[in-house]
Amino acid sequence: MFDVIIIGGGPAGLTAGIFATRRTLKTLIISKEFGGVVSTVPHIENYSGFKAVNGMELMKRMEEQAKASGVEIVYSQEVNEIIEEKDGFTVKTNQKKYKSKAVILAFGKSPRHLDVPGDKEFDNKGVSYCVNCDGPLFKGEDVCVVGGGNSALDAALVMSEIAKKVYIIHRRDEFRGFESMIEKIKSKKNVEFILDSVVKEFKGDKMLRSVIIENIKTKAIKELKVAGAFIEIGSEVKTDFVKKLVKTDENNHIVVNDKCQAFYPNKDKVRPGIFAAGDVTNNAFKQIVVATGQGAIAALQAYNYVKGSDEDISADWGHNKGG
Amino acid sequence: MPKKEKHKVKEYGTQTCPWCVRVKEFFDENNVEYEYVDVGKDRGAAMEMIEKTGQRGVPVIEIDGEIIVGFDEPRIREKLGLKSS
Repeated sequence: MFDVIIIGGGPAGLTAGIFATRRTLKTLIISKEFGGVVSTVPHIENYSGFKAVNGMELMKRMEEQAKASGVEIVYSQEVNEIIEEKDGFTVKTNQKKYKSKAVILAFGKSPRHLDVPGDKEFDNKGVSYCVNCDGPLFKGEDVCVVGGGNSALDAALVMSEIAKKVYIIHRRDEFRGFESMIEKIKSKKNVEFILDSVVKEFKGDKMLRSVIIENIKTKAIKELKVAGAFIEIGSEVKTDFVKKLVKTDENNHIVVNDKCQAFYPNKDKVRPGIFAAGDVTNNAFKQIVVATGQGAIAALQAYNYVKGSDEDISADWGHNKGG
Repeated sequence: MPKKEKHKVKEYGTQTCPWCVRVKEFFDENNVEYEYVDVGKDRGAAMEMIEKTGQRGVPVIEIDGEIIVGFDEPRIREKLGLKSS
């Protein structure tokens, strides 16, 4: 039996782990993968204490600190269900069951997938959600980038240096990205904009060979021969498995108060024992520093819950653990 | 710790891929001998990887002929006979 199980191993989850173990709570982090989305960000320039840091490096440091504090971490497990018991919670993953007195939900956001025929079939076979990882594999070939935000424009810029031809497929006729970035891309001779258009299907044999696109205004269908398709259509929170337990807002975010306590669904009553932190919550700003702050709050409040007190906790930055 | 030499381990990766770096570090930390192929630099190797593994995403790890896609730590540990962390 753990005191607290934290679901998610990104900035919020790892920080919650550090604070929980410093309060001597027996703590387990269950995470689908290492470091969450931050680990794929090449440059972070707005996390205090670092002028610039690579996302993977930052997450490695957080993981190292959490492990040194005594947090147990299991990767490659996905939580499917959380069941409330008399004495706490049972957390069921795709592999095992774990029990704890309190739960902190910190599983962040996931890249939004293009739910069209061929998306799953050609995943890692031409369809990619990581331009930094897979981009160099498409040297001298024709590719497309799907999306219209900064991450899509960034991906197109990266690929314009690698690929022979880059198509940007965007459902609107204007971009949400920074003006300077748009101008930069427009100056690239090998980039072509395909606006007002959506991807209907990915086609190929063993590998991706083409995408079928539709112009949403004219309804015209076109087939583009491409070897790679980079999907950059934003991210989403996947809170379906906790909706029976906690309140979520219209964007599927878990609603929390200033102590990171979750609520009963459709009520304004705090749900004892369940806390949430980071991008999965309805916090106003999805930033790493906000996520780590919420992780700390959630862990300290979980400590209060486990110990049955609601006192303010004083600073604990020294060597001595509290408890 | 003695070097583990009984397994044939190969990693296909790219320089800009954070997960590929993570896999390399994992092998180094666990004293696993492995061959690293930068498929971003070497077009021929990229084609070989695509042909051999049917994958066009990295990292791809080959352990004793078995293909593992991505940093699937439990499976890598299992194949190499390494204890869980």
